[in-house]
Amino acid sequence: MSTAVLDHPPIDEQAPTGGGVMRRLNVVTALVAGVVLGFIGWFVAHLLWQDGDHGSDQVVLVTLTCWAIGFMLGIGAFNGPLGWLRGRDLTHQDELFLAGKNQGVSRYFRFTTDHKVVGIQYLVVTMVLFAFGGTLAMLIRTNLISPNSHFLNPQTYNAVVGLHGLIMIIATIIMVTGPFGNFIMPIMIGARDMAFPRLNALSLWLIVAAIPVLLSAAFLGGIPTGWVGAAPLADQAPPGMDAYSMFIIIFAVSSAVAGANITTTVLTMRARGMSWNRTPIFVYGTVASVGLAIPAFPLFMASQVLLQVDRTQGGQFYVASGGGNPWLYANLFWLMGHPEVYVILIPAIAALMEITPVFSRKPLFSFNAAVISIAGIVGLSVMVWAHHMYASGWAPDLNGPFMLTTEMISVPTGLLFLVILGTMWRGRVWTALPMMATYAMLWNFIIGGITGIYLSDVPADYALHGSMFVTAHFHYTLMGAGLTGAIGALAYWFPKMTGRMLNARAGYISFWFVQIGFNITFMGMFAVGLAGQPRRVVTYAHLFAVGNFVSTIGAYLIGIGMLILLWAVVSSWRHGERAPANPWGAKTLEWTVPNPIPMENFTVLPIVTSDPYGYGEEADSTGPEFDRAADGSVREPAQVGAIGDSGHAPVVDSEVER
Amino acid sequence: MVSPEPAVDTVIGPKPRVEIRHVFWIWLALTVLLVLFSLWVPARLMGPPASPTMHAVESTMTVFSVAASPVAAIVWAIAIYSLLRWRSKGEPDRDGPPLRGNGPVTATWALLSTALCLVLLVWGLAEMTSVTSAAEASNPLVVNVTGQQWTWTFDYPGQGNVESDQLYLPLNRPVVFHVTSKDVIHSFWVVQMGIKVDANPGQTTKTSVTPDKLGTFDVRCAELCGLRHADMETSAHVVSTADFSSWLTQNGGHS
Repeated sequence: MSTAVLDHPPIDEQAPTGGGVMRRLNVVTALVAGVVLGFIGWFVAHLLWQDGDHGSDQVVLVTLTCWAIGFMLGIGAFNGPLGWLRGRDLTHQDELFLAGKNQGVSRYFRFTTDHKVVGIQYLVVTMVLFAFGGTLAMLIRTNLISPNSHFLNPQTYNAVVGLHGLIMIIATIIMVTGPFGNFIMPIMIGARDMAFPRLNALSLWLIVAAIPVLLSAAFLGGIPTGWVGAAPLADQAPPGMDAYSMFIIIFAVSSAVAGANITTTVLTMRARGMSWNRTPIFVYGTVASVGLAIPAFPLFMASQVLLQVDRTQGGQFYVASGGGNPWLYANLFWLMGHPEVYVILIPAIAALMEITPVFSRKPLFSFNAAVISIAGIVGLSVMVWAHHMYASGWAPDLNGPFMLTTEMISVPTGLLFLVILGTMWRGRVWTALPMMATYAMLWNFIIGGITGIYLSDVPADYALHGSMFVTAHFHYTLMGAGLTGAIGALAYWFPKMTGRMLNARAGYISFWFVQIGFNITFMGMFAVGLAGQPRRVVTYAHLFAVGNFVSTIGAYLIGIGMLILLWAVVSSWRHGERAPANPWGAKTLEWTVPNPIPMENFTVLPIVTSDPYGYGEEADSTGPEFDRAADGSVREPAQVGAIGDSGHAPVVDSEVER
Repeated sequence: MVSPEPAVDTVIGPKPRVEIRHVFWIWLALTVLLVLFSLWVPARLMGPPASPTMHAVESTMTVFSVAASPVAAIVWAIAIYSLLRWRSKGEPDRDGPPLRGNGPVTATWALLSTALCLVLLVWGLAEMTSVTSAAEASNPLVVNVTGQQWTWTFDYPGQGNVESDQLYLPLNRPVVFHVTSKDVIHSFWVVQMGIKVDANPGQTTKTSVTPDKLGTFDVRCAELCGLRHADMETSAHVVSTADFSSWLTQNGGHS
């Protein structure tokens, strides 16, 4: 089998001498600059709008904007553009410094461009968000343990519900494409970094800058609208709502930057020979997710800009008495809101589709069906948004058409089930933690999917909309399938990302706590929803007491399980068993690089000669060619066949090298 | 690792027909269980219906659950069987058979799921027509519903503008609700009648129902509307036509 190599230009072993002012910038300077500029903004805004009608909102908005700009200045995000303005570009040494070369742990606290650093940063950010959101979930469930627990007062309760929702939505949006899309995906396609490494760092640090903005809402009266921020309730909400808007605006920029970067990387930087039918399915999932986010989030951002015009400038976009219309908000929001659930789900399911062949030792069943299904889901997902508005009264005549598009989306989704089941079929199933996540997804997502079909039915939705049934349904999809998939992905790629194996025993214990707790929690919630309990209520009728008590107990089990998982991740990361380069016997490219991964991943760039699913296929069989060692081994990286040994021209590009 | 060997090994065995038969039996058993669950549980949890609309919704829940049972059952049957039969203890020592897809199976799966979807869609459209029939009745009772933080107000414009904070409805007479809000979005939900429509400021939305059961039912707000959202509930009393008339008269109206 012929493959190509090029010796990589030597990288000296010394610490890079470049970097300039970036050497002095890190997360501490970012925090200082953010706080200082935020304070200046607060002070100036305070002087300007002391007595206005919308004074406090304007002050909050200016302060938070200044914080974000200050933070990004302090981390060094603007140094590149400012340098260009002065006619300077980065030297090779500068780029090596930016990539974090030989900087040890400190590179995780800087504006570092290495995609592996960004991936780890995303993973930590995701885990921090889940910790916040999960704690809030525990508060919600504790409050609902009995009909009138008075654990939280109504104002706190509404604030907690809104924050829980938004934090979890953001966490689940980034939980796969952030850590694994940044760390794993470029290696998986045989690239040395992302197409735009500095944009990569930008997207990450924008989220970091945005998190304090979001959390500040808790101290500004909270987000009393639920995560949807529904106007005109949002128009009368306390300044916490301004923090919400500012957070969404920053997050939309971050997701646009990340989306442009990931799609460009996949389009232009796949290894030589990695044609579309040899591109791993996870790459498709990642691109589909971020590609769908590119049109979706600007609409959310636009909805918040209009809201801020209402709130700070006396606009009336959503205020009926001023000629505005709350349905405008609902449309803008759900035009983002439904694609968004597939932004969350597709990469998680795609990760499990990547995992299943490895742990079944079989090729992915019907690769084409998988790709077509992902494309079909993406296409349909932008045409279903008004099923969230059946009962809003906006356009009753459109309910039929939206019922059609919504129910049709179950066809491509169903094909994804077939792909996974077909891959397991007669395989040699290795029930390690990543594969257990696949099984849990099959269980949970069937329930989430079927209950979604009930809700797509207009009359049934009239009865169930706004009830706990809906809450249970989307937790079954986003958590039961999405988060479970992300945990599977974490267990799967943990050895590559950290160089150590995830503690399997703790992983199993956590798995069972979380999955059993999850099903208890949300089965209870389905029951009270069917019986008529509304969502987002701080107290409820005695009729619903048993179901809620059961849900709360289930939620505590989830909480225990998640803490065990957190412990497993932290302890394994610090002193787990050292992982071999390819512990699972997988065939995708990321498993061909050694642990720890060298800075530019590949000393020689791979040339791909087959897809990564050639299990059970001999090199001379009728299947796609795949270079296997004479003894059939697939374990040693050098024998995986994707890396070759003779001299074609290199397919090399990375910004670090330029 | 492993020495080369034929793609189809003898342990798993070239006996797909036997395996298909086993999966079939698991599928059948699961389907039966799920159908029983579908017939018994969802409608029961929703409680006795107080209108033809709720009756239709509960049938939908039952029918959709029954229709979904074989689908869930096939997914879980294959998953369960793979754990029972194809599980390898620890890391597998050789690969499974290189099945890269099966056109007829994929096509059948896609066609069946599309057909099932269309059936459910047609069911839904037919049901939609039936539940809106109350709105097209010749002489419906009109009730204006106004939501405001955090109470409901009902007035009866055809009955001398009687106003009430509890909903009174006569048995078996079609009712059309004109729903609006004074402040933020609320959602008018008569739980046991299976109707819900948002109360939007500046807009009037409509929903309709024919109550067919005497009793007191729950009106709740189904859209987060601020601090006391949870308390925004009241009662809907379905009474006989005579009782309804006397209630109207007592409150200064006429029937």
